[in-house]
Amino acid sequence: MPTLTLNVNDQQHTVTVSDGSMPLLWVLRDLIGLTGTKYGCGIEVCWACTVWVNGQPEKSCVFDVSSAVGKRVTTIEGLSADRSDPVQQAWIKHQVPQCGYCQSGMVMAVAGARRAGHHGQEIAAEVKNVCVCGTYQRIHDAIGEL
Amino acid sequence: MQTQHTQGAAPLRRREFLASASGLTLGFLLPSGPAEAAGKAAVNAWLTVGGDNSITVAIGSSEMGQGSFSGLGQIMAEDLMVDYGRIRFVQGGPTLAAGAPVGSSIATVGSSVTRNNFWRLRDAAAIARETLVQAAMNQQGDATRGNYAVDNGVITHLPTGTTYTYGDVAAAASKLTPPSSAPLVPDSEFKSIGLGKWRRDIPSKVDGSAIYGLDVRLPEMVYAVIKHCPTFGGALASVPSTPAGMIAVVPTTVVPASARGIETVGLVNAVAVVGPNTWDTWQAANRLRPNWTLPPSAVDLTDATMLAQAQALATGGTAYVPGGPNPPGTVYTVERSDTDPVAAIGGAKTVVEATYTLPYLPHMCMEVLNCTVDYVPGERCEVWAPTQMARNVLALVTGLTGLPESQVTIHTTLLGGGLGRKAEVDFVAQAVQVAMAVQRPVKLMWPRPEDATRDQYRPMALVRARAGLDASRRVVGWTYRNVSPSILGQRGVNLGPKGDSQGYEGSNELPYEFAAHLTEYVTHPSTIPVGFWRSVGASINTFAVECMIDELAAAAGEDPWLFRRKRLSDPRWLKVLNAAAKRSGWGQPVAGGGARGIAIGRAFNTICAQVVEIASVTATTIKVRRVTVAVDPYLVVNPLQVEAQIVGGVVHGLNAALYGGQTFSNGVPGRKNFNQIRMLRLNEMPKVVVKIIGRQGDADRSVPIGGIGELGVPTLAPALANAYFALTGQRRRDLPFFPGATMGGG
Repeated sequence: MPTLTLNVNDQQHTVTVSDGSMPLLWVLRDLIGLTGTKYGCGIEVCWACTVWVNGQPEKSCVFDVSSAVGKRVTTIEGLSADRSDPVQQAWIKHQVPQCGYCQSGMVMAVAGARRAGHHGQEIAAEVKNVCVCGTYQRIHDAIGEL
Repeated sequence: MQTQHTQGAAPLRRREFLASASGLTLGFLLPSGPAEAAGKAAVNAWLTVGGDNSITVAIGSSEMGQGSFSGLGQIMAEDLMVDYGRIRFVQGGPTLAAGAPVGSSIATVGSSVTRNNFWRLRDAAAIARETLVQAAMNQQGDATRGNYAVDNGVITHLPTGTTYTYGDVAAAASKLTPPSSAPLVPDSEFKSIGLGKWRRDIPSKVDGSAIYGLDVRLPEMVYAVIKHCPTFGGALASVPSTPAGMIAVVPTTVVPASARGIETVGLVNAVAVVGPNTWDTWQAANRLRPNWTLPPSAVDLTDATMLAQAQALATGGTAYVPGGPNPPGTVYTVERSDTDPVAAIGGAKTVVEATYTLPYLPHMCMEVLNCTVDYVPGERCEVWAPTQMARNVLALVTGLTGLPESQVTIHTTLLGGGLGRKAEVDFVAQAVQVAMAVQRPVKLMWPRPEDATRDQYRPMALVRARAGLDASRRVVGWTYRNVSPSILGQRGVNLGPKGDSQGYEGSNELPYEFAAHLTEYVTHPSTIPVGFWRSVGASINTFAVECMIDELAAAAGEDPWLFRRKRLSDPRWLKVLNAAAKRSGWGQPVAGGGARGIAIGRAFNTICAQVVEIASVTATTIKVRRVTVAVDPYLVVNPLQVEAQIVGGVVHGLNAALYGGQTFSNGVPGRKNFNQIRMLRLNEMPKVVVKIIGRQGDADRSVPIGGIGELGVPTLAPALANAYFALTGQRRRDLPFFPGATMGGG
């Protein structure tokens, strides 16, 4: 049972896992208690589980926890302390979420693309998150401001 | 799911004021179901005005993305005469309000939350307001109501300028007898209803703090992962031993409230592996190889077999017999004109005949099914569930545990999508069984492949329609037969002479002028479990009806919009149809060689028309450029929310029409995840324009308010298919358009 130390949202967390191949998603949700990151498909298709590892968006449902050791993990809870990230602000202004379940991953994917220097339709082309509620029109409106 | 027509003038049937030290609590009745009919639940929502000026409404309906909690707050704010932002809604309602009768909650189905509660919430708010004003009048010593004004929860005695906040008089108000009725704010003075207020839940949905069912965590909680028999109808042959590192393997049984299709009560159709965390437990469940006993009948649960059965019943079947057993294959007459439609078609100049098919459709809510239970034998059972049916959950839990309602608490969490699937309680029944077996707090999860395959699907359907035009292109006869497994029939409901109301909705009471017509509903024998999928029968029948109307327009050589317009007479239908056509640019050339299609329909008392504009067609998809929607729900509480629901429904309709569907081979579903059940992504989103058509003049209690949550769906598929015909000259009568579509990781 390996014990690992992770840096999540600038805090150190020590976790004991049965195997280093446990996906980061379940370590975050079950062992650390950060439930903002969501499970949708488990096969990196829906992107609901998107987090950042060293600032790079990753699908945490297939990202081995052992690969996150020594790196900075950022989840939706750590994107900003006060919903001040421009993506969060745009999401509120355009009233994007409906059920909201996919939006943690959506916001992290869009915010990641934005911090990589991308804008507007560039972001819309690369973000593949699935939203079953179909909030895409307001997402386009919100992304248009970024 | 049943369309309800009961809102309107019904008075509050019972009110109670509970005296409390801190404030005024008003209990009032919202529409509900069987328990209310049995006289069991007299009060199921509570409005509390606290001495601290807080205003809290506890209510039993569910928030699954449709924004109705914010909408309900907007409604109550109006007649309480307070700012919308001051009202706090508490989910789970009755069980959270002290002294409230437990278990009296509302179903969140049938696009009903707003339309069924509108007048009752307003009445309750007005009565509470006047009781508070009465308390202020008593304190002031001036009993002339006209001497008082109310603004944002502050009562002002105009002659003296003395003010009383609601909190100041809440305790005194709690000792008064409330008036039996109170005047409502006139529509012309609305400050809240009808305005595009922001939703209250959105901040929590952009920072990860919103708690869905799957996010519930309890001290000492263990994790359970479900593993069903892959074949519908299969039963566990022997209980597997507990894998290393796991806590237990618990067989779970189908209980009465979840009996569906081939899965009979008492069938042990799944095991739950219980372990220390989701991932390790899921892996153990994956490795587990239980022995299942498969039913011989499962061989019939194969796509080709089920289609052949439907084809045979398109013209065959046995007529309904009053009081008879009426087994699957029974032909029910939904509607029939006095004039013989078959003879009329026989004498027509032009006859059009078409057969439409629709697949079994999974729900695929973003949040998989899950439920958390804390059970202490003989003492209490607490359940956290993303449910649309808290009432059914309560009945289930008391039945399984033997505990009285007073020792059972149901917490309705946020739902990561409901779409009708979370109106079922099978997943709750499993979680309770596991909790009773392990006697520890436990969270049960269905991994995505279980969620996608063990659905209670929108029924497959085959529709055969025939119609005839005379020399002047009048529709002289229309016959329509829908062959489909019955949702209510699988639940043991006696269908009666018209068949399954859930199955034929959208095919009856059509607004078109047909000289003669016959609408039939035939039960298909398939035992694949079926259930309520956003807009239910309307999404099936509106596709077939509106495609058939389009085929008639083509046979008549008329424009599809004008053909409909000439055969409609109801002014509301005409207004909606014309608004969609006009806004879409109908009749003007489509840029880049695209084409448009139109459709109109009614569901849950709302009329909706859509024009779909497509740009191009490839072997794997259709480029949808623009969708124009006109919708008339009669009354709108929040236009931003109406727009969001309609746009979302368009996307949902596109997912279903282009790619949606489950496949079956010998009772085993084939598609297990989003990679095999493709959905639209951001870069494929068409522009959607929504024109809301509201009431003329002040709202009238006698006019049914329409639903919105499901209304974007039914008219999308036919408008898309009709656009396809306009572009290619070919009819697409079988959904989905692209049955094998897949979706990659990107």
